[in-house]
Amino acid sequence: MAGRRVLITGVGSQVGSLLAAQLEREPDVEYVAGLDTRRPRLPLKHTEFIDADIRDPEIGRLIPPTGVDTIVHEQIVRQPGPRMSSRAMHDVNVIGTLQLLAACERVPTLRTIVVRGSAGVYGAEPQAPQFFNEEMATLFPLRTRFQRDVAEIENYFQTYSRRHAGVSCTMLRYQPAIGPGLRTQITRYLSQPVCPTYMGFDPRIQLVHIDDALEALGAAVRNPVPGAVNVACPGTIGLSRMIRLAGKRPLPIAAPLFGAVTSTGQRLGLDTQSEDFQRLLRYGRGVDTRRLTDEVGYTPRHSTVEAVQDWARHARAAA
Amino acid sequence: MNQGSAIAFMRRLRAGLDSGLELPEAITKGATALPRDARETVERILDRLDGDYPEDEWGFDEEFAELVEPFFAFLYESWWRVKVEGAERVPAHGRVLLTSNHAGILPWDATMISMALLREHPLPRYPRFLVLDWAFNLPWISSAMRKVGGVVASPFNALRLLEQDQLVAVFPEGVKGTGKPFSERYRLQRFGRGGFVEIALRTGAPIVPVAVVGSEEIYPKIGDIPPLARMLGAPFFPVTPTFPWLGPLGVVPLPSKWRIEFLEPIETASYGPEAAADRALVLELSERVRGDIQQALYANLVRRGPAFI
Repeated sequence: MAGRRVLITGVGSQVGSLLAAQLEREPDVEYVAGLDTRRPRLPLKHTEFIDADIRDPEIGRLIPPTGVDTIVHEQIVRQPGPRMSSRAMHDVNVIGTLQLLAACERVPTLRTIVVRGSAGVYGAEPQAPQFFNEEMATLFPLRTRFQRDVAEIENYFQTYSRRHAGVSCTMLRYQPAIGPGLRTQITRYLSQPVCPTYMGFDPRIQLVHIDDALEALGAAVRNPVPGAVNVACPGTIGLSRMIRLAGKRPLPIAAPLFGAVTSTGQRLGLDTQSEDFQRLLRYGRGVDTRRLTDEVGYTPRHSTVEAVQDWARHARAAA
Repeated sequence: MNQGSAIAFMRRLRAGLDSGLELPEAITKGATALPRDARETVERILDRLDGDYPEDEWGFDEEFAELVEPFFAFLYESWWRVKVEGAERVPAHGRVLLTSNHAGILPWDATMISMALLREHPLPRYPRFLVLDWAFNLPWISSAMRKVGGVVASPFNALRLLEQDQLVAVFPEGVKGTGKPFSERYRLQRFGRGGFVEIALRTGAPIVPVAVVGSEEIYPKIGDIPPLARMLGAPFFPVTPTFPWLGPLGVVPLPSKWRIEFLEPIETASYGPEAAADRALVLELSERVRGDIQQALYANLVRRGPAFI
């Protein structure tokens, strides 16, 4: 398929900028546009930057003239930053998605939507199967705000693709990303002097290396598969082993005190974890990546353990 | 490690620390004063502290399993005096579904089945066992269980493990078996809806019925306190002659005498994976397995004689 025209939402995020740079290099992509209120973090050569807020109905006028055939929806907030309320996060996630889909209605050339969603939709549960497959999104009740956001986003895209048979909609469910230079909840967690853990719990954690995360996005753009696809590096790692590989020490906290201790830590200026992340630290989560390999045709180059080792190596070199 | 080498070790350790070495390096240096096997143990512990140890995607940690082996060996040999029959009937390679009777919240029976296979099987391998999901909400127990081969009791886990050609142990009585009162010991409960047979059919794994005698006397459950169970989110709150009266001591299992018999495998591959949808076949096979185990339980009860001496 020659001459792809791609629009990326959330191009000002780290992953969004990296993806734009990667798409610019692809020979069969003739045009890249990036939508965000934040400037891209990398010097991009050809990407047309559209300075707009995804929550603003204005995007319904800005997107159609680009004549894109592919939209990569990247603007999903995973953890509200220091200056962002959880209400604002919900707005970006849900209202942003709604506005984007409304704009999509006016883009007749649109054939492919790829969403960088989250495996957070499965939750983190003590009774969970070790590896969630794509059919298991409704196995457990939605417990956190972010989980409800993701479920709502998925729901909107499902409804949209039911009504538009000509548009293929891929919902990529990403495990937390890790990688050199990347700032995510997990890298911030591992960068602390000590890492708070739930006393007596050593959950199985599964991550995705940033290189594999980007390659998988690219693969999904090239080979759109309708429906949900899990994205993660194969294998899992025990939380305690991950902390040790990062060269840090765990700080076990009894479960009932965990919230109190970490929120005190926040007041002292230490990093905090979102509700989702706390559940992950307690129960962990793994996903089945066979669909990514078999149907999208992308095999991650790292295992979860290698992803952690790679990050630790770079973090040590930088220190 | 004798006393002399321990003192030599501490001396070198202090000397190393005094000369400005980091703790791990100082320990490594000090360890040169130790005899060989103790040195290896120290090195292994240091490696573990650096996160340098193998673990598979299920959290099974063979090194840890070896480390705790002496404890289970004590239970196996001295505490429960386990006698094993028919271990050689368990196929040495490929996927196998072990199906056993079960009692008590803690999967002692699973660990003894593991020990039996490690000790008595000509080609020993570690079985993976499905554990009641409630246990994975408990601190320490959840992580220790994963390390020795336990996984959450979910059909998806069983399927994936069998697809990876593992030896998998299931307890189809489920929570009904766990909460059996003492008066109903060794009377097999309903085998759910035969889910374990469906899994065996879908993966073509042979079913090996296992009868465990002795496990149903270690915690004689004589009562239940439902409000406490609800408070803890547990399926039931057992009352035994020792629990909760003796506090943590009440968790010590009684030293009954055990017999484990592995029965003739039931082959499933010839039915084909589609047969998993055949309800009549599933229930028939499930009943057959249940009947085999029940018979073997009675036979072994007679052979064992008195429960505790």
